[in-house]
Amino acid sequence: MNDFLAVDLPALLAIALALVACATLGNWLVLRRESLAADATAHAVLPGLVGGFLVTGTRSPWAMLAGAAIAGLAAILLARFVARATRTGSAVALGVVFTAFFALGVALLETQGARQVDLDPDCVLFGSLETLFVAPPERERSLGAWMQSWIAALPRPIWTLAAAAVIAVATSWLLTKELTVRAFDPSFAHASGAAPRWTDDVRIVATTLAIVASFEAVGSVLVIALVACPALAAAPFARSVRGQIARSLAMALPIACGAYLAAAHAPAWLGTTHALNASGTVACALAAGVPLAHLAHRVYRVFRRGARPSPALNRRPA
Amino acid sequence: MTIGANTILVLAGCALFGAVAGATGTFVLARRRALVSDVAGHAALPGVALGFLLGEATGLGGRSPALLLTCATITALLAALCVAPLARLRRLGDDGATATMLAGSFGLGAALLSLVQSHSSGTQGGIQSLLLGSAAAMRAADVAALAVLSVGVLVALALLARGLALIAFDEEHARVAGVPVRALDLALIILLVACVVAGLQVAGVVLVVAFILTPAATARLFAGSLRTTAVRAAVLGATTAVGGVLASLVLDTIPTGSAMTLAAALVFFAALVVRRTPKIARRGA
Repeated sequence: MNDFLAVDLPALLAIALALVACATLGNWLVLRRESLAADATAHAVLPGLVGGFLVTGTRSPWAMLAGAAIAGLAAILLARFVARATRTGSAVALGVVFTAFFALGVALLETQGARQVDLDPDCVLFGSLETLFVAPPERERSLGAWMQSWIAALPRPIWTLAAAAVIAVATSWLLTKELTVRAFDPSFAHASGAAPRWTDDVRIVATTLAIVASFEAVGSVLVIALVACPALAAAPFARSVRGQIARSLAMALPIACGAYLAAAHAPAWLGTTHALNASGTVACALAAGVPLAHLAHRVYRVFRRGARPSPALNRRPA
Repeated sequence: MTIGANTILVLAGCALFGAVAGATGTFVLARRRALVSDVAGHAALPGVALGFLLGEATGLGGRSPALLLTCATITALLAALCVAPLARLRRLGDDGATATMLAGSFGLGAALLSLVQSHSSGTQGGIQSLLLGSAAAMRAADVAALAVLSVGVLVALALLARGLALIAFDEEHARVAGVPVRALDLALIILLVACVVAGLQVAGVVLVVAFILTPAATARLFAGSLRTTAVRAAVLGATTAVGGVLASLVLDTIPTGSAMTLAAALVFFAALVVRRTPKIARRGA
């Protein structure tokens, strides 16, 4: 039990908060058919991490987070410019820009002191969930006091994630109308003036913050899955944007927590000494959830409509 | 800086790979499959880890390059082939299918890699180098294998260029004219995966995408037929690869894969600045 409180609960908390932060804003990306922007941002923050350290010369996590956020934003803006200037699809622009940023990051890391920045590409890619633990508090007078000291002992990345989650939910909730219009009908948004451009800019900044805050804890491998997969899994069931966001969180939370617990404990139950990377396992489970959700939706339709084939089937040529 | 026999070997290998990836990338971009290369690159990771585990289990040893690359080819091909059927699911679309496959295969790779790392044997060095690439460590056998694969891909591209151009620009017409669209698509994905696997040692799973996309995107900035664009992309790919290797020799600490990617990106942005006439800027929005 003590082990659970010390190791598993902080990691689960980190995953849940990262999920709320990333998946909430990921819904907008999926609606706009930009699911891959997350992948690009997650790779592009690397030079910012190293740059933040080089510029300030301190090992303060805030400098690195700020650098990462700046690099992520710069990559997204640059990719947008490239897509516009070359008139190729945004996929190509993202691919060119994020590989350049990632290469720059690796080069900086190798030349400027992988020794001083205790950062290795492995950690950036696969996360450091295993290092988030709470030293279990000493015996306290009451349960309340015990919980207080447990919360006080939570590592800093979890608080950063909590802030990112709050920002993500607030942005999505307050700007639902504007962002919906901009996602579904950009020309109307532009013409009517009902949904000004800054709303999208706020969303992009919030998304970058969520990605940066999460990947510090869970690694870019899981960030990619957290942004895109919950929204993609919820899409067939959704009737409204807020409904889709709520469904994506409700569907992904149990999957992510279950996958984490499986990764952390299944090897021991099976009697092997091998460790399974938690971030990778959760990412894999979330991705597997997407086709499964679509399958479940087919079945659900059949039962709800009394075995009538879905319109998707009707559209097929005879 | 001295250019020894080994350096010439590395230069030859990188130039060859740059050329082949550039040429393949042109057709991939024309067919709007840019990010399938990303999926294939990331999906090679679980294959490599699987190859290691298989090698350990069967007693072949975890670092048998043939086994690692075979497994990488299989997983990359499977993932790349899964993108199209996934994209046909309701509301998933191309980007959603790509993101799903990317997240899934990368996650699987991370999980399997952690199994590899908790393996007691100390022979995992080869796997780390496939993550970020280790062009400087190429040996004659590697370059020879790369050369065989490259010539194969180039010959296949030359033979299929006509059909690939047809399906890229007018799929309906190609279908009506009796061109085997599915077979050509499959061939393109196989060539792409061959490129990605060949490039693992040169560039690693993340940066291999740059070799396929960046020179092709640069060549596309200038008007020309698909064939000329492919040739230009091949020349650009080879040149930037050589430039990157030389830069990493001079600057010493920059890893070769990153240097080549940065060289290609620099050329792309320089070309973009040259080509960005006001007319394009106005019509771009």
